[in-house]
Amino acid sequence: MQLTFKHGIHPNDNKEFSKDFFFEIMPVGERVYIPLSQHIGKPALPVVQKDDYVKVGSLIGEAQGFISARIHSSISGKVSGIINRPNSNGVMTPHIVIENDFLYNEDFLSPLLDFEQNSIINRVKECGIVGLGGATFPTHVKLMPKNKIKALIINGCECEPYITTDYRLMLEKPSEIMEGIEFVRKALGVNLSYIGIEGNKKDAIYSLAQFSETEVHLFKQLKTKYPQGGEKQLIYSITKEIVPKGGLPSDIGYVVLNISTVYAIYEAVKLGKPCFSRYMTVSGSGIRRPANLFVRNGIPISEIVDYLGEEQGVVKVVLGGPMMGVSLHSYSPVTTKGSSSLLLLKEKEIREIEPTPCINCGRCASVCPMNLLPMMTDKLILKGNTSEANKYYPMSCIECGCCAYVCPARRPLVQSQRLAKKLVNKNKIIPA
Amino acid sequence: MKSKFLVSSSPHIGNYLTTKRIMIHVIIALCIPLVASTVIFGLYSLFIVFLAVVSAVFGEWLFNIATKKNSTIGDFSAVVTGMILGMNLPPSVPFYFPIVGGIFATMLVKMLFGGIGQNFANPAATARIFLTLSWTGQMTKFMAPLTYSNGISDFFAGFTKLYVTTATPLAEIKGTALTGMVDLDLLDLFLGRIGGSIGEVSAIAILLAALYLIVFKIIDWRIPLVYVLTIAILALIFYENGYRYILPSILSGGVLFAGVFMFTDYSTSPHTRLGVCIFAFGGGLITMLIRRFGGFNEGACFSILLMNLLVPFIDRAFKPKPFGYKRVKAEKSEAKNG
Repeated sequence: MQLTFKHGIHPNDNKEFSKDFFFEIMPVGERVYIPLSQHIGKPALPVVQKDDYVKVGSLIGEAQGFISARIHSSISGKVSGIINRPNSNGVMTPHIVIENDFLYNEDFLSPLLDFEQNSIINRVKECGIVGLGGATFPTHVKLMPKNKIKALIINGCECEPYITTDYRLMLEKPSEIMEGIEFVRKALGVNLSYIGIEGNKKDAIYSLAQFSETEVHLFKQLKTKYPQGGEKQLIYSITKEIVPKGGLPSDIGYVVLNISTVYAIYEAVKLGKPCFSRYMTVSGSGIRRPANLFVRNGIPISEIVDYLGEEQGVVKVVLGGPMMGVSLHSYSPVTTKGSSSLLLLKEKEIREIEPTPCINCGRCASVCPMNLLPMMTDKLILKGNTSEANKYYPMSCIECGCCAYVCPARRPLVQSQRLAKKLVNKNKIIPA
Repeated sequence: MKSKFLVSSSPHIGNYLTTKRIMIHVIIALCIPLVASTVIFGLYSLFIVFLAVVSAVFGEWLFNIATKKNSTIGDFSAVVTGMILGMNLPPSVPFYFPIVGGIFATMLVKMLFGGIGQNFANPAATARIFLTLSWTGQMTKFMAPLTYSNGISDFFAGFTKLYVTTATPLAEIKGTALTGMVDLDLLDLFLGRIGGSIGEVSAIAILLAALYLIVFKIIDWRIPLVYVLTIAILALIFYENGYRYILPSILSGGVLFAGVFMFTDYSTSPHTRLGVCIFAFGGGLITMLIRRFGGFNEGACFSILLMNLLVPFIDRAFKPKPFGYKRVKAEKSEAKNG
């Protein structure tokens, strides 16, 4: 029996573009541009100056406050300054520019020898690890929950179409991932860990299971459905427990981490490697050679596109998954900790964006995994009626995009939920 | 900054179904009973439906011109409205009925309230009621199915007015309600060899259309199912020898057609799964009350209109709670108690 949650959608997963390609290392060009904000929370504070020499893994940005993360250099070379460049949203943000000396001298931390709770958490913090599934929430915060934790849940769903990085990691680095899970279990002080993987990736389950002690690792096969990897949906699928509205998984005793994050924790603890790189899928029909890449942070998208080749007729470029990713205005943004995939999409793959009137079909409500009525928020917020719109719980929206995916009128339903959230916060209305 | 690429909010991929494609699916489904009734009642019935479609589209087009709005006829929803209205008319009505009805449906019932998705009442049902109240005599006079005894010339009987009228099975159901002595040929009801409105007569054709719409996920299967089940249960209760009235009640009149094509109208049905079940149940209740105790033989269209009026209340009463809502409430009350 495959476990699942209520509602959701079944998009074409399009993983066959890249699922069979081994990871390859993306070559780095003359310089990298490392953004100081690669995570949720306060941007890091630069700790290097012009003409400083840095090595691979050197600290270049210090975390500011609890919810923030350190930034490390991804190459060795000279810092040539801090400039403003557009990030993936098109906003100008500070980036540290490092000239590549192509020596790749390493400045890693020493491998951790005592696997104590505090030293592991500290290591995660030192290495600037954030949620690499795309949300980029600082991981050390998750490892220090206020409540007692019952179990760790490893998210191997990768429910977004096209993306195959977690899948490839599970196939290529299974023992490392299982070891990473051990470290997280120690950090949290929990015994039980669930590993949730969608049914379309059975080979990944077998791959990981070879290295597991069956009493503590419970592999759960989940139905291939989007958004199976949404935190609240995943917890419900596996445990049938519900995260309260506005609450966190830790409120009911669970911590959810995704495969890439666990792998990064493994590297940090075992190899002392800070989080300056990640694995990334490059896919879509607009890319000549789809691939799974090892990319260092700060490489401009244009270099990746040049490396793999661009087909004619690319109309949309998406950083992240097709359901929740950001569409880029140009190839100038750089890879960051959260860039799980780069998609070059042609006209036939994308959703039309010209909205037509809502026909009230109710499809959005019937697929919403949070059981909301997106059409009502859309209608009311566009009329400017924020307090009425608030009664349809926009604050509970997880922005998964199911509603807009199925909307036959092509209404920008996620955008109106975001607008509603913004206006509710701005007008200081108490969320319903 | 001028963008090289298309920049928009997520999600970036979508389902193939657009409003227009949905309407085309419905049109295809409507063609199944339309073909059946063309065979049963001759070419004139097809002509009636054609006139209804043309005038419904014309009404919407004219409204857009008059209010200086962009044309909205490209989504084919007016075609669907016109077809449903046309198929709701008796097969022998004068040619100006569908014209008046079609324009009334789109201009007054649909566009005046803001066009597609905004109207609170089903345009076709409202137009049919409007016509019934305006020309009650002709709207309740039904021609008998063609026998083709005169060969192909029967096919054009509607134009030459050389047809026989008949009572619909609903008249017999009403007449025998107290005696329980209903005597209808179920096969005739199933195939459509009965008097009735153009689209309503052939149960088998409507069931095929329903299957088509459900397979392509155009309609919510709950609506026709709950509606028909309600009719069946109430037939059992309302009539003497109720069990003999279950199938006749479902197969005659507009029950199947309304359940599949009219109660399922997106704009005028509730948002949620529970809501549509209540909606369909209410529709069945009103239909059967009118059939058994009301002045008309048929109550399907009235029930649609009456339930349409209740949709905002159903939506409000059955507003779904977001995922994770209950737990918070429980904790709050615990906190109060503690």
